Amino acid sequence: MASGLTLKELSKQEDRFTHGHRMCAGCGAPIVVKMVLLATEGPVIAANATGCLEVSSCISEYTAWKIPWIHTAFENAAATLSGVETMYRSLKKRGRIDKDVKFIAFGGDGGTYDIGFQSLSGAMERGHDMIYVCYDNGAYMNTGIQRSSATPLGADTTTCPAGDVVPGKLRSRKNLTKIMAAHNIPYAAQASPSHWMDLIKKVQKAHSYQGPKFLNIISPCNRGWRSKTNDAITLSRLAVNTCYWPLYEIDNGVTKITSTPKEKLPIADFMKPQGRFKHVFAPGNEWLLEKIQQEVDAEWEKLQKEAKCG
Amino acid sequence: MRKKLLFKKGNEAIAEAAILAGCRFYAGYPITPQNEIPEYMARRMPEAGGVFIQAESEIASINMVYGASAAGVRAMTSSSSPGISLMQEAISFLAGAELPAVIVNIQRGGPGLGNITASQGDYFQAVKGGGHGDYRCLVYSPFNLQESWDLTMLAFDKADEYRIPVMLLGDGVIGQMMEPFRPTKYVRPRLPKKDWIVNGCKGRAPRVIRSLCMGPGELEQKNYDLCKKYDAIRKKEVIFDEHNVDDAGLVVVAFGVAARIALSAVKELREQGRKVGLFRPVTLFPFPEKRIAEMARKGKRFMVVEMNAGQMVEDVRLAVSGASGVTFYGRPGGVVFTPEELYKKIKAEYSRKK
Repeated sequence: MASGLTLKELSKQEDRFTHGHRMCAGCGAPIVVKMVLLATEGPVIAANATGCLEVSSCISEYTAWKIPWIHTAFENAAATLSGVETMYRSLKKRGRIDKDVKFIAFGGDGGTYDIGFQSLSGAMERGHDMIYVCYDNGAYMNTGIQRSSATPLGADTTTCPAGDVVPGKLRSRKNLTKIMAAHNIPYAAQASPSHWMDLIKKVQKAHSYQGPKFLNIISPCNRGWRSKTNDAITLSRLAVNTCYWPLYEIDNGVTKITSTPKEKLPIADFMKPQGRFKHVFAPGNEWLLEKIQQEVDAEWEKLQKEAKCG
Repeated sequence: MRKKLLFKKGNEAIAEAAILAGCRFYAGYPITPQNEIPEYMARRMPEAGGVFIQAESEIASINMVYGASAAGVRAMTSSSSPGISLMQEAISFLAGAELPAVIVNIQRGGPGLGNITASQGDYFQAVKGGGHGDYRCLVYSPFNLQESWDLTMLAFDKADEYRIPVMLLGDGVIGQMMEPFRPTKYVRPRLPKKDWIVNGCKGRAPRVIRSLCMGPGELEQKNYDLCKKYDAIRKKEVIFDEHNVDDAGLVVVAFGVAARIALSAVKELREQGRKVGLFRPVTLFPFPEKRIAEMARKGKRFMVVEMNAGQMVEDVRLAVSGASGVTFYGRPGGVVFTPEELYKKIKAEYSRKK
């Protein structure tokens, strides 16, 4: 079962998110879902917020999910799963179910950071036993690349277009992982598909705790990031190695950086292969690149301090 | 001199017409098939000296419109069916607080998440109030891009004139198609002064905008006042369009894109000498019930054609009140019928023994 952490052992396990879905070639989201389910032992029920993952994995009478799966609207994956999980507990208490069932909600950043934030916060506070997984690609990709509160500073999207006067998004990302940790839930962490072992360990650890858990996983989108279709893993690795997306966990209030880059790379290394940042490298916008670097550095420093304090 | 034609996508035509009509505040949220409206506004609003905000949800968008409208600005939001459902509470608040606003619904198939193709499934929601309480929105239903352009401009004027939320009820076809149209210039009519806005009360008595009426009899009175307003709208604001109804034995009743498809079928039947006409309500509230009743009294039969399971047909039946026959043909779930399909259905209905 999933306790084995070698690729060989993992490859022997049954995929519970299978082929046949219609996500774009090179999308990060199905990789993320596959890894999360590989790290999940036994019966599991998933809820899905509206988004690319949802519309592309349940087309017509087909499904790519080999597990019970439920979707309602955009803003309520956490609420829907709260209902399922509570009913399960009630049935279990009355002796009508004897199985141990796990619960996972999947949502993109639009359905998690923005419209689904209220129901997510409610579920975390009420203490439902679930992992909420956000696959964060930094914009509303399903509707045509509109900005979200996860869109990074400086990015060009269709609703914060980079032009002669305004160089893309002028606001910084919301730090959702820390906001979730501030709900005093047992476990909140950030992961990346490039560091698959770290990701799988985090899912397993999250499952080992009762109560609400939150995982924020970076998920490159070549359509929205304007990058190559074969660089999802390269880009997610660069996100980690530039400290744009540090890998850390907040385990019962204790912050720990789970993977420190050997050499912290400049943020430009992550941004350059992406067309959404093209204008940042145009003459006259040097200040913006500098500001983005400063922000990444400051956040990284803060995180290191928090990790030191425990 | 011939005026230049514009060739634009429906959603962009609506957005540009709004800006030309003086809309300076737009808040929206992504949902297909209306994304070109917020995207266009994101680019154009700053140029026009206005404000574009992408909200964190449709609930936030419409409440931002509430705030901007209270401050006196021409404000607008747009969405598609599920998003419009989320806005209903605030639309009721806009009606209660008597605040002008323009809400664009580029309908898609429902219920639930449905699909993203064109539909007319939100007729009831748009014309019967939609949210809680006794209220109505003025509802315009464009059937081509020329009307989308013109009615968007008119919507802002009527919203201000009556201090009500006005809905432009389009659909996926109206939003997504491109066609040439005449970019009519916006001419601002004489409108009542906005002597109710909250823009700082230095030198004048403070004003209050609210929909909470807890005093004895206060809310009942408020509702009667609203009723008076809706009665005035029923009297003055009805718009409809007719094709060959005078000598017609069978009148097809359809709105929006369904009417446009029906028109092709009706024209074809006319060419063959069949006495079929088309009646097209442009305002869905107020509904052109008088004209329909008049035609019913003359013995004309009606066939209502909608891209839903039968919604406007109820209003047609109410207007006809048993004076004549009313049949229905519709395709729900985001199915757009073809002119050939309607041709067959209308022909069959026309030939049917009464």
